[in-house]
Amino acid sequence: MSNGLVNMRDQSFVLYEQIGIQKLFEKEQFADYSEDVVEMMRNEAEKMAVNVIVPTYAEGDKEGCHIDKDGQVRVPRCYHDAYKKFCQGGWLAPTKSPEVGGQGTPVVVASSCSEMFSAANFAFIMYPGLTLGAAGLIERFGTEELKNKYMYKMYSGEWGGTMCLTEPGAGSDVGALKTTAKRLPDGRYLITGTKSFISSGDQDLTPNIIHPVLARIEGDPPGTGGISIFIVPKYRVNDDGGIGEFNDVRVGNVEHKMGIKGSSTCTLNFGDEGKCIGELLGNERQGIRIMFHMMNEARLEVGVQGLGHASAALEHAVQYAKERIQSVPVWDMKNPDAKAVPIIMHPDVRRDLLWMKAYVEGIRAMNLFTAYCIDMAKVGDTPEERAKYQGFVELLTPVCKAYSSDMACLVTSKAIDVYGGYGYCQEYPVEQYMRDCKISCLYEGTNGIQALDLVGRKLGMNKGANVMNMMGEIDATIKKAKSHGDLAKYAAKLEEAYFAVVDLTMAFAALGKSSGFLIPILNASPYLDIFGDMLLGHFLLQGASIAREKLDGIFAARGADSIGKKRALVHTDPDVAFYEGKIAAAKFFAIEVLTSVKSKCEAIKLGEKTPIEMAIESFAA
Amino acid sequence: MNIVACVKQVPDTEAQIKVKGDGSGIEEGGIKWVMNPYDEFGVEEALKLKEKLGGDVTIVSVGPARAMETVRTALAMGAEKGILIDDPALYNADAYATAEALAAAIKGIPYDIIFCGQRAIDDDSAQVGAILAELLGIPQVTFVTKLEIDGTAVKATRPIEGASVVVATSRPCVITATKGLNEPRYASLPGIMKAKKKPVDMKKAADLGVSGAAKAKVVKFAPPPARPPGKIICADDTPEGKAAELAKLLREEAKVI
Ligand SMILES: Cc1cc2nc3c(=O)[nH]c(=O)nc-3n(C[C@H](O)[C@H](O)[C@H](O)COP(=O)(O)OP(=O)(O)OC[C@H]3O[C@@H](n4cnc5c(N)ncnc54)[C@H](O)[C@@H]3O)c2cc1C
Repeated sequence: MSNGLVNMRDQSFVLYEQIGIQKLFEKEQFADYSEDVVEMMRNEAEKMAVNVIVPTYAEGDKEGCHIDKDGQVRVPRCYHDAYKKFCQGGWLAPTKSPEVGGQGTPVVVASSCSEMFSAANFAFIMYPGLTLGAAGLIERFGTEELKNKYMYKMYSGEWGGTMCLTEPGAGSDVGALKTTAKRLPDGRYLITGTKSFISSGDQDLTPNIIHPVLARIEGDPPGTGGISIFIVPKYRVNDDGGIGEFNDVRVGNVEHKMGIKGSSTCTLNFGDEGKCIGELLGNERQGIRIMFHMMNEARLEVGVQGLGHASAALEHAVQYAKERIQSVPVWDMKNPDAKAVPIIMHPDVRRDLLWMKAYVEGIRAMNLFTAYCIDMAKVGDTPEERAKYQGFVELLTPVCKAYSSDMACLVTSKAIDVYGGYGYCQEYPVEQYMRDCKISCLYEGTNGIQALDLVGRKLGMNKGANVMNMMGEIDATIKKAKSHGDLAKYAAKLEEAYFAVVDLTMAFAALGKSSGFLIPILNASPYLDIFGDMLLGHFLLQGASIAREKLDGIFAARGADSIGKKRALVHTDPDVAFYEGKIAAAKFFAIEVLTSVKSKCEAIKLGEKTPIEMAIESFAA
Repeated sequence: MNIVACVKQVPDTEAQIKVKGDGSGIEEGGIKWVMNPYDEFGVEEALKLKEKLGGDVTIVSVGPARAMETVRTALAMGAEKGILIDDPALYNADAYATAEALAAAIKGIPYDIIFCGQRAIDDDSAQVGAILAELLGIPQVTFVTKLEIDGTAVKATRPIEGASVVVATSRPCVITATKGLNEPRYASLPGIMKAKKKPVDMKKAADLGVSGAAKAKVVKFAPPPARPPGKIICADDTPEGKAAELAKLLREEAKVI
């Protein structure tokens, strides 16, 4: 029976059978972990998601956030109890070390729990999520004083946190920011400026909120190189750790949004009355570098957000398609006595569902693998091994963020198609999945910016070694799949896509050095899509090969030596049904998606520049 | 205070149960196992009592190796230690044999109060708690929705039809918990990490001097008969006609009026 959020069986498959996170348990850093412990965690996370968070989903969307007359933002009322339980359960900072209030959980395990929480209600999860990121910065770059003052209370969820980068005139280009910091004689700073779109910028879940704020110290140079980062509390903190005076951080506005309505998105005015005090984090002019340290994990978290929505949409759509009775099947059209059937019997609905399943499972494997790489980059045995995994993290992060969110939006849209008109109505949850999911394409750097990061920075990083290592993984997948007779045909499709992408990547590298550099820039987004297609093809086929071997084992053990006997087992043995599903998704994806990768690469290589060559006047003439 | 809570591992309420082809039991593949929901109330009450009065909570379970997960879950919720009685001789135990094993294990440790769920949601027999109290020779209050303890005096509220009764007794006693007693907590992440290091004592039937022999014999498992399809009444299209037809069917076919 589905929990309506995440296919736990598939998650287990990715964790234990595909990635093999058991390898982590052998490392000293994760000696406290074992499959039993992880299973208990996933179990409790599932209960928390289903019983505590899901009930806030539709209600939080309807109620939204608003500012009271006293200037205080109120979040949906039902969030309060859920927030308390979530923090009490210790779910805010599992990956942090026990000394600071975490449990030293591997990132890949925490991400698997995050998938459930995101699927349950991402708007809600943003409150603890932002706090975690902000406290992480203080842990890494803060003085002992800052840590004692803020960090512990944040990791426990007692106080909230945010991330204040964006300003009305500084979105994608953070370097354009105008917020200023003026040195005070005591070493602290007076902060003045306006930040926009600040998630959790104000809320009534916690009595204090700690804002890391990007600002420029008076006299520092323009651009990103002149930016510093400051810790700015909503209320100042007394020497005894208690909450003191108001720190002149005011809410100007709460946005009315398409989705994630339960997450407050605020305009914050710092220092309207000249009384907003900030403390420098790290060194002066290191703001952007410091921020970059949390970028990979934050971007992966957005990828997992997309995954969660897509996963919940799939689980709901499959259930609905089994229950909704409509139309006689196409093979019975001429039969006047034919009965209407569940819509999952209709070919078009079925292909929609398999399309969704393939993307969801591929995206799940890609995101969890990247999370695993974050762990291995820390606990790998040799410097070379750690560097290799760090390389994967760098390369895959923009793809996890952008491809997962873009495709997740399409998956949620497809779920509405499966529901028909009912999907468009608020009585069912799928329309909210689509609305809530869209934001993942925009924040933490728009997907357009992610594509530029991939093409402009990540492909060439380490002299291309990261890409070459990834290609090595894909090559191994192709070889293995080719050794399984029935998968060889699909492995050939992955191989074709792989060669085309390698070829295009080399062409980009050559263009980057010549006057044709605009071609890669102009085609960064389609390149990221193609790269994502290839990666998903790899993860799905890798899974299919494993499933093939497991199936052969089950068939042998159960004496299923004929096609008929094997087929019969699909209906009675859940493992057989599961593994057959893995193979079906990989096959479908190879034919449906991978077959067009080569032609897309060829198209880019034609070097057309129409979008930049045409005059702006011609766009809407 | 020495508090004992008995737990059983059962299939999740959402699990789709399939009976084995030969009727000897249920197919266990693909089933998700959980702590019996009524036992969760018992564990929660035990923990609350400990938090109020001090002492520790021991979890006792009869079950196969997989039941360890359930014992650990209770430890992760906050109990101190566990006893798992895992013996093939008890795999087909009925309520009596189970209670006998539990009683033997509990006799070996100090106890001031014992919690059970009012029944297990798999076999629904609602007997283990009661038999356990008899075997230990102590009082019992079943189906408890409210519990107050003052020294050795115990006041327990249980629902009866249309009202509730308050039963006064003294500890040691067995309390079987039901919905309404409390809201069971979730195992926290720190709790899960600590649970790993808490002691669980493994026992065999022989260690406890019980045979596991059941008094009731299960002859066969069979799924309930498939529900016959519903009937749409369309005798004639007036409300009166439909009502008449319905009354007739209820009397003659369903024989309920
Ligand atoms: C609900 C919500 C929550 C948010 N939470 C936070 C938060 O907590 N903290 C925070 O600091 N910010 C937050 N943001 C801000 C978010 O990160 C920005 O909206 C985002 O970075 C884009 O900036 P912008 O909106 O100014 O768009 P713009 O930068 O104006 O971009 C508009 C378009 O131009 C494209 N573009 C811009 N520059 C380039 C370029 N160089 N090359 C190619 N294309 C380009 C973009 O890709 C985009 O398509 C949030 C936003 C929203 C809507």
